[in-house]
Amino acid sequence: MYATRKLKPMRLDFGLKGLGVKHEKCAEIKELKCIVCGASAGCSQCEYNEDCNLEEVSQLCICKKCNETEDPFASYQISVKKKFPLLNLKIET
Amino acid sequence: MWSEKYRPQSIIDMMGNEDARASFVEWFGKWKKGTKPLLLVGPPGIGKTTLANLAAKQFGYDMISLNASDVRNKNRIEEILSPILGNASILGSPMIFVDEVDGIYGRSDYGGAEALIKILKEPTVPIILAANSDLSTKMKSIKKVVKTIHLRPLPPRLVQLFLKKILKKENAKLSPGSLIKIISESRGDLRSMINSAQAIVTGFEPATEKSFESLDVESGVNAFFKANSIDEARSVLYSLRIDPREKINAFYSSVITSSISKSELDKMLQVLSQADMLFGKIMRTQQWRLLRYLDEILIGLYQKDSSVRYSQYNLSWPLLNRLRWDGKSIKELATILAKNMHISRSTFGTLYFPYMLFCIKNKKMNLDLKENFSDIIEKEIEKLA
Repeated sequence: MYATRKLKPMRLDFGLKGLGVKHEKCAEIKELKCIVCGASAGCSQCEYNEDCNLEEVSQLCICKKCNETEDPFASYQISVKKKFPLLNLKIET
Repeated sequence: MWSEKYRPQSIIDMMGNEDARASFVEWFGKWKKGTKPLLLVGPPGIGKTTLANLAAKQFGYDMISLNASDVRNKNRIEEILSPILGNASILGSPMIFVDEVDGIYGRSDYGGAEALIKILKEPTVPIILAANSDLSTKMKSIKKVVKTIHLRPLPPRLVQLFLKKILKKENAKLSPGSLIKIISESRGDLRSMINSAQAIVTGFEPATEKSFESLDVESGVNAFFKANSIDEARSVLYSLRIDPREKINAFYSSVITSSISKSELDKMLQVLSQADMLFGKIMRTQQWRLLRYLDEILIGLYQKDSSVRYSQYNLSWPLLNRLRWDGKSIKELATILAKNMHISRSTFGTLYFPYMLFCIKNKKMNLDLKENFSDIIEKEIEKLA
């Protein structure tokens, strides 16, 4: 059973306390996103699942499929350049 | 060192924290006089200093680096920063980077924090601050006048991606067990991950199940001096994760008790003196980030086929033996004679004993002593010559 009213994540709705009601977002299983393909990084099946604090780490990762390509590092760099073009910004003085 | 060799050359080459890096670059791109300074918050090894360095390079600034100890004192901070802030055009394009800003508060803060906040309120050059944490209440006043960007640890799979790239370039291999262990233990800290990987790959390869920390001081020091190459010695040094003071002491006691030539001893003591000075500076200024250079200094002790072996005593054996056994007999003798002469034992030892030895040597005095005391007196008389 989920809250029907719009609530900010992690906010308590005192009216519904004790009924086992969860905000929809709180009920979702946290997954990082793959920077290369944009899909879920598959954290629940990741070999580092136990060592990775999903709330704490940098939120873009790489999924198993993209990680198993011939040159995943190059794919990562290409994706970063494509999705964050600002990082290439240079100001000549 | 791999951590230097594979240091990113531009902001885009860095790993992880893509959003944070983009916000950082945006701040730099839009920077004008009066723009709020930037506070980078994140755990050690995450790339805060690297980011500031690369930004200075990428945007054509001359980075002026300060740390918490430079900004503790109001006069000191004004002395360093006022000329830069007032004459920015004469000094080119300066940019100020204050590292470990969360460490400026404390017993030795002599108005530095207030002086820094005053400067942060009216910036005339880009100012970047770095802190491991912004949670303390004391950071609140700084946070009010800056824009904060949080840098997070890297997810392990991204760490793995970077490590595999390095291993490929180095044509090196790690067992799957070692790979997972290194990545898990790094906790998103790329620098420590690279150092651990280099330690294993370049010769020193403990079983994966065996923790690095289990290498005790004696085995560590002996393995260091027995190493076949400087890379192997370096690996041993990295693996010897003990208190830095204990590390320096262990090498010192081992070196001075070994039979080595005077020139070799001279060279090694110079190295140990540098290590000791660095550690003294760390303790004095609390700049713990300097600790990373300790092993690079100590590696200077390595010499192939060196005869140095571990010893826990910091005195040579003949001297230690004399102190331990002869010293005990002299102390007993001094106790008896000092009592007879109604003086203290230390007065006897310092002033009377040498004269007494001369008197016995010149046969002007004859003491009827127990055999073990006669032996020690004979020994001491021999040393007078």
